[in-house]
Amino acid sequence: MQRGILSVFLLTIILVAGLGVEASAQEGLAISGLSAGSSADYYQMMIDLVSGHWQKYGQLFTTLQGQWFGKLFLAVIIAIPAIFLLHYLIIGAKHFGHDGEQIYFFTLLNRIVHVFAAISFTLLVVTGLLTIFGSVFGGGTFIRTARTVHLVSAMVFVFPCFLMFIMWFKDMLPRMYDISWMFMLGGYLSKEKKPVPAGKFNGGQKGYFWFATLGGAVMAYTGFIIWGFGADLDTIRLYTIIHNFLGAAIVAFYLTHVYMSVFAIAGSLESMKTGYKSKDEVDILHSRYDYN
Amino acid sequence: MARMKFLCDVERCIDCGGCVVACKEGHHVPVGVNRRRVITLKEGEPGEKSISVSCMHCADAPCIAVCPVDAIYQRADGIVLVSKKTCIGCGYCFMACPFGAPQFPSGNVFGRRGAMDKCTFCAGGPEETFSKEEKNLYGQNRIAEGKPPLCAGMCATKALLAGDADVVADVYRERVFQRGSGVNAWGWNKAYKKK
Repeated sequence: MQRGILSVFLLTIILVAGLGVEASAQEGLAISGLSAGSSADYYQMMIDLVSGHWQKYGQLFTTLQGQWFGKLFLAVIIAIPAIFLLHYLIIGAKHFGHDGEQIYFFTLLNRIVHVFAAISFTLLVVTGLLTIFGSVFGGGTFIRTARTVHLVSAMVFVFPCFLMFIMWFKDMLPRMYDISWMFMLGGYLSKEKKPVPAGKFNGGQKGYFWFATLGGAVMAYTGFIIWGFGADLDTIRLYTIIHNFLGAAIVAFYLTHVYMSVFAIAGSLESMKTGYKSKDEVDILHSRYDYN
Repeated sequence: MARMKFLCDVERCIDCGGCVVACKEGHHVPVGVNRRRVITLKEGEPGEKSISVSCMHCADAPCIAVCPVDAIYQRADGIVLVSKKTCIGCGYCFMACPFGAPQFPSGNVFGRRGAMDKCTFCAGGPEETFSKEEKNLYGQNRIAEGKPPLCAGMCATKALLAGDADVVADVYRERVFQRGSGVNAWGWNKAYKKK
């Protein structure tokens, strides 16, 4: 009788244990079935860990930087001066009498802020272009120094940029007549001296102003992040793309500004040194400016 | 000419970190720079896998395409090398690389990145082979000595294979056949498939 009970007990244990083992085996199968990923899934997980969304941003950056940014900047620095050279040869500079009545156009503060902006901004453009075309100069210490100068000039430029934004904000707000100024390209396509619709600043100057100040702020921020790798990799890639496209637009404006002030209007650079423009010039090029 | 490739067999990698230590010690790589690292996926979960990652020495390497000063070049045997004297530390190669291989030593003026450092396949750099300068800048040149890269030579489970692509592929194919698992080598398509 006792033996009978014992054997039933043992049998029960074996059966229960057997069921348990089978259950756990099935559970194991279920787990491994759930976790089995394809090698492509694993590879994707690894790439996400080491280099972010490479397919989305890395490839885009590689294509743009590898094939387009260099060409874009080359086009900007060749096409714009070429157009201006043609303009200078065919239409020529505008001459205004500088002996007549003078109008006080830029205050001392305006001129000081502008000279700091001009120097730091020119350095930014030159060192930026040096970096982009670094292979022409063989890289190395020269381009490395250019990058350092780029950073320092950017830090300097932030201050006059901010001051310019405040002191010229009101004069730079777009007006309706700026549109007609743009349609006639500021009257630069004719030799005639007809009054062009522009306030203290014309449509082109306003465009440059907004690109240099607001655009400059974007350039400064994205540049700062790129310099120190201060964000995740995909953000850095995106910022580098923005920095390059916006940079090309700003360089285009910069070259235009230099041509206009140094060549296209003879003697107009004087007003940024002395503060005075001739009445003759203001009445034609800034006909809507009320200087009284 | 033989085409040099890396292959990490994820069925064999046991995340021991031997390759990382061998590389770092063997080449006196500066602090904060890792030419090779081991990535573990699904750690502590069923299906955990580890892989040793470094520069893959890609065909059509994106780093070469984006470098603004042409500091990176590819040898005839496929090994991608950088000239640290030309490099300006802009970091574009790091943005372009799908494997996160380019590394930059820190500690320069204004927090400027130093010249890019990455796996050389133990083949030194553009300076004269076995010169002191080459050793200081890039570490050992074991390829010129006829030896395999440190990481692969050191790998205890022989998960990491390095060398002539055809031989590497044969070894791996045999393993896959014997194991009966049809796992593809991670990253081979990305690194070596010609578009």
